[in-house]
Amino acid sequence: MAGKAVITGAGIVSSLGDAPAAVHRALCEGRRGIRAFADGAALAAGVGAAADVAYDLQPHFAARNVRPLDRTARLATAAAGLALSDSGLPMPSFPRDDVGLVLGTMFGSVRTIADFDRRAITAGPQYVSPLDFANTVINAAAGQVAIWYGLRGVNSTIAGGHAGAYAIAHAADLVELGAASALLAGGAEELCAAAAAAFSRAGVLCDGNGDATPRPVPFGSQRHGFVLGEGAGFVVVEHADSAAQRRAQVRAHILGHATVCSGRAGRATADGEEIARAISLALDAAGVTPEEVDCISASANGSVDGDTAEARGLLGALGARASTVPVTAIKGMLGECLAASGSLQVICMLESMRDGVLPGVPDFQPADDGATLAGLSARPRQVDPRRGLVVAAWNGTCTAVVLRAADRS
Amino acid sequence: MDATAIRDQIKTHISTITGIPVGQIADSASYVEDLGLDSLSMLELSVNLEYSFKIKLPLERLPELRTIDDSVRIVQDYTDPARV
Amino acid sequence: MRRRIVVTGVGPITSVGIGREACWAGLLAGRCGTGPVQSFDTGRHGANRGGEISDFAPPADLAGFGRASQFAVLASRLALEDARLDRDAIDPQRAAVVLGTTSGEPQFIEQFNDAEVASPPGNTGSELAFSYPCHLMATRVAADAGGWAFSLTIPTACAAGNYAIGHALDLLRSNRADIALAGGADAFSRITYTGFARLGAIAPERCQPFDRERKGMVPGEGANMIVLEPLDAALARGARIYAEVAGYGLSCDAYHMTGGHPEGLGAARAMEAALRDSRMTPGDISYISAHGTGTPTNDRVETAAVKRVFADRAYAIPVSSVKSMIGHTMGAASAIEAAVCALAVADDRIPPTCHLENPDPECDLDYVPNHARELRVTTAMNNAYAFGGNNASVIFRKVEP
Repeated sequence: MAGKAVITGAGIVSSLGDAPAAVHRALCEGRRGIRAFADGAALAAGVGAAADVAYDLQPHFAARNVRPLDRTARLATAAAGLALSDSGLPMPSFPRDDVGLVLGTMFGSVRTIADFDRRAITAGPQYVSPLDFANTVINAAAGQVAIWYGLRGVNSTIAGGHAGAYAIAHAADLVELGAASALLAGGAEELCAAAAAAFSRAGVLCDGNGDATPRPVPFGSQRHGFVLGEGAGFVVVEHADSAAQRRAQVRAHILGHATVCSGRAGRATADGEEIARAISLALDAAGVTPEEVDCISASANGSVDGDTAEARGLLGALGARASTVPVTAIKGMLGECLAASGSLQVICMLESMRDGVLPGVPDFQPADDGATLAGLSARPRQVDPRRGLVVAAWNGTCTAVVLRAADRS
Repeated sequence: MDATAIRDQIKTHISTITGIPVGQIADSASYVEDLGLDSLSMLELSVNLEYSFKIKLPLERLPELRTIDDSVRIVQDYTDPARV
Repeated sequence: MRRRIVVTGVGPITSVGIGREACWAGLLAGRCGTGPVQSFDTGRHGANRGGEISDFAPPADLAGFGRASQFAVLASRLALEDARLDRDAIDPQRAAVVLGTTSGEPQFIEQFNDAEVASPPGNTGSELAFSYPCHLMATRVAADAGGWAFSLTIPTACAAGNYAIGHALDLLRSNRADIALAGGADAFSRITYTGFARLGAIAPERCQPFDRERKGMVPGEGANMIVLEPLDAALARGARIYAEVAGYGLSCDAYHMTGGHPEGLGAARAMEAALRDSRMTPGDISYISAHGTGTPTNDRVETAAVKRVFADRAYAIPVSSVKSMIGHTMGAASAIEAAVCALAVADDRIPPTCHLENPDPECDLDYVPNHARELRVTTAMNNAYAFGGNNASVIFRKVEP
């Protein structure tokens, strides 16, 4: 039965920290997690900065050995642990057959795969690392998290830039079907210099314009590209009945979702048709009208065409409401974290639902391209977010998720 | 080749694989009971030893290696210039 | 009332045949598609056997794609043709592609590395960002099929085909789509080959699942896509129905990254979950298409898992592994094996486990040694186990008129 999935916990590892409340505060203060990027190869390709996770992750792992895990898996494991503990889900010393994980990632890890192959071609195929080979499969992080926490339930990996949001949507379906009691769901993405360099060569990244660090401005009139980020975000998704039975604190209800693609082999439409359709179908599934949407977390990241398409998509789906609904876009501060973004957006939406503040878009000035959303603001605003919409779009695929704040009907 | 030099190299590799500081790895530690190495980590150690010492250790001999001493012996064996 | 979903088209691309007729005939004949690796030098790998598709000629319009995407798109074209669908009658907004893969398009990483280590270093562009990522594989299939509005890539390694089919099943059952292409694709990859060689997992000569002398797997390549639609829609358009997808089950070993649980507990739970989802009992299964990679460990543990689920009845269920013929095609494997199950159910014939010469007391089930068999196949279970402990089982059932 649809609309019965709830979120009972959240864990985040990001360039602005690893506590949802602290990340939310930073976003509301307009702080960016973007730093100078030290990697030589990336610098050579013109990538000067990124929103990386600059702090030591080791405290998340206690005394356990993390050598078998690559960085993607470490980000995922840290965030998953935070989510599990935040949810209060009993995790006994024996594995649980009914708790699983749905993980979204775009790359798995380009670095892991490339380094493995590099060793083969430079030192010889007989000298490759068996531990690294285990991580060259794109579902490696999901497998490592499952081993780390003893999660023997449904375990799946979804690929794509929208996949963190899709994972949460899919987890909602799975718990409603009774396929698991609880699922960690979200995305993980590591910053890989080789991938960053590739984006840079495509001309889609924001440069600093002589400044020390670039300042991407989603939807902004002067926008000229995005900055990559890394991180991981997981929520714990359960059936409302199971959550009630264990007296879990419900953060939000997942009312509905939809995913639509452009059908153009990874190219978005200029007018955001797939975005509009995903939002409309998600609202239908949720039984929510455009007027009832109280705030939106958009996918916009500072990309010239992408942000225009999304604005048009929002206008197309929401009609008159598009010009009044408060909208935020956090990738200007957290960077474009690819698959992790959608889950970071959901977690930040939970924070807005908790304290009624929607982050602004620092340095935002309205663009003059006929796709203006009046609800965008450079400054944070008070909102009353009973129903929040999260939009995760990448390469012509869009996942839209409709959430309802806990204890609000 | 000197057993101490071999043992030090083995311990360094074990430290990289397990995160256990070299100083906490006993000279005669056993891989499973003392160091908690699984089969993949044992293979990793073997590959690292092959690379360090430029030898080829047959996979079928891996299960024989139960302690650091066993590995010291097999490296000595395979680095012995008299070995055909 | 759950919608019943059926298979109306299959489009396999394998080293024993491309297209349903050639592939099925090849498998039933026990043709072996593995041999010495051609596409790169295996002199220092300690292994040299592979299941490359040496006579694959991609259609000219797919020349710009990576090999795995070429496989995926062609397999989809074959499946749609096999399903005899009127493409124009398909509403692209209600049509879905779900594709499984292990490696995606690793050639882009290999090319990137080759360029970097060359002297002087070669130029690399933006391929790693906009050509390589594996989610694009499903989008390419969807575009080629007619701008289908849902596509998803599920990269759950060697169980990915089953995962994709299960996911598509959910989409159709929940009425989010009216038709789906589901399956898997993987291209021969030096990265994959090198890794398995380093693990000592590759057989020196051939793949001999369940044989006492078995020495390992043989990495291969290929693809299969199946067309799934609701039973009533298939009947209404007079489609040829191969089988119903009765249900699926997933589990995770959460034990070891490259080796499964030593007693096959995760594998057993996936089979049990599939039986539950299909509303069946162990007594209902006529045939099992095994994961059967040919490694000493997998085949022993898989046998134990089958016995755990089916108890004494296990001895009455024929179990065969087509990996004996085409090797391990990674993310395509369980998709190709899904075609095997659907065709077995439709045709009442099951393919053999080839090269099975020496009985193993630890593997003592009926593995259909060396010769195909005619048999009434009411239901077929397709099992797949992957790195990361991802296990998936899908059950197919005969649709009686």
